[in-house]
Amino acid sequence: MSEVQRRKYSQEERSTIFDGEFMPHIDSMYNFAFRLTFDEDDAKDLVQDTYMKAFRFINSFEQGTNAKAWLFRILKNSFINDYRKKSKKPATVDYQEVETFYNSDDVDYQSTSDLRAESVRDMLGDEISNALNGLAVDFRTVIILADLEGFTYEEMAKILDIPIGTVRSRLHRARNLLKDTLKGYAQSMGYGRDEEED
Amino acid sequence: MENNDASSPERKLQCSDVSKCFQLLERILDGEHVEGGNEMLQEKLDKCQPCFAHFHLEQAIREVLKTKCTKQPLPDKLAESIRQMIQDAR
Repeated sequence: MSEVQRRKYSQEERSTIFDGEFMPHIDSMYNFAFRLTFDEDDAKDLVQDTYMKAFRFINSFEQGTNAKAWLFRILKNSFINDYRKKSKKPATVDYQEVETFYNSDDVDYQSTSDLRAESVRDMLGDEISNALNGLAVDFRTVIILADLEGFTYEEMAKILDIPIGTVRSRLHRARNLLKDTLKGYAQSMGYGRDEEED
Repeated sequence: MENNDASSPERKLQCSDVSKCFQLLERILDGEHVEGGNEMLQEKLDKCQPCFAHFHLEQAIREVLKTKCTKQPLPDKLAESIRQMIQDAR
């Protein structure tokens, strides 16, 4: 992930890295881009830009290290710097404000006892996807990185340029927001708390 | 851990430190290394009902996100066009 170290790869080495270490992640990259932009063309452009940047800065990548995290970091930065700015739709929630409001890492872990694991498991893929897509982009991002892509807290901290404590607290809040939406779905399906007690 | 009974007479109904326990459970579920984590997890699942319920709910959330979220198919020719762009840039 280090961009400080500089090396000079030969043409052949660059091709090997690009094809062998970068291209295998194109599926995950496209899905990440689509979940950020909700637009096929924007997602394609974002992935193309990311790969172009990855190629341009390939000498900053250390062969054999975590290519996926390196690429995701470039994609996330491209999204923030290029796409988010030009987007006509403003972010619904400014996470900085949200985090300030909630006093940063000091999260109150509370029980959401009126949503049951069984109800969550009964939900349809579309309901789960809609609940995820309804989250503000910064909360959506941490869930995508952790739960869909399997990144560790440490990798996420590097991808997002935030401390590990913030990763943990943002993830916790993101999942709580998701649970609130799922709780609404569960209630509308008739899986109220009382009916589940047996 | 495999005991999925929603309630057990052996578990206390109030958790003495919800914040600390839930944070610990979430770190374990997220695959973070927690010193003595397995023992602590087993203890909490066996003896504390709020921890038991929270653990299984959090586990279900992670599971459905991982397995049920609809995946977007990669557009035809995207990989090809990227390779072409790289070729042109050389």
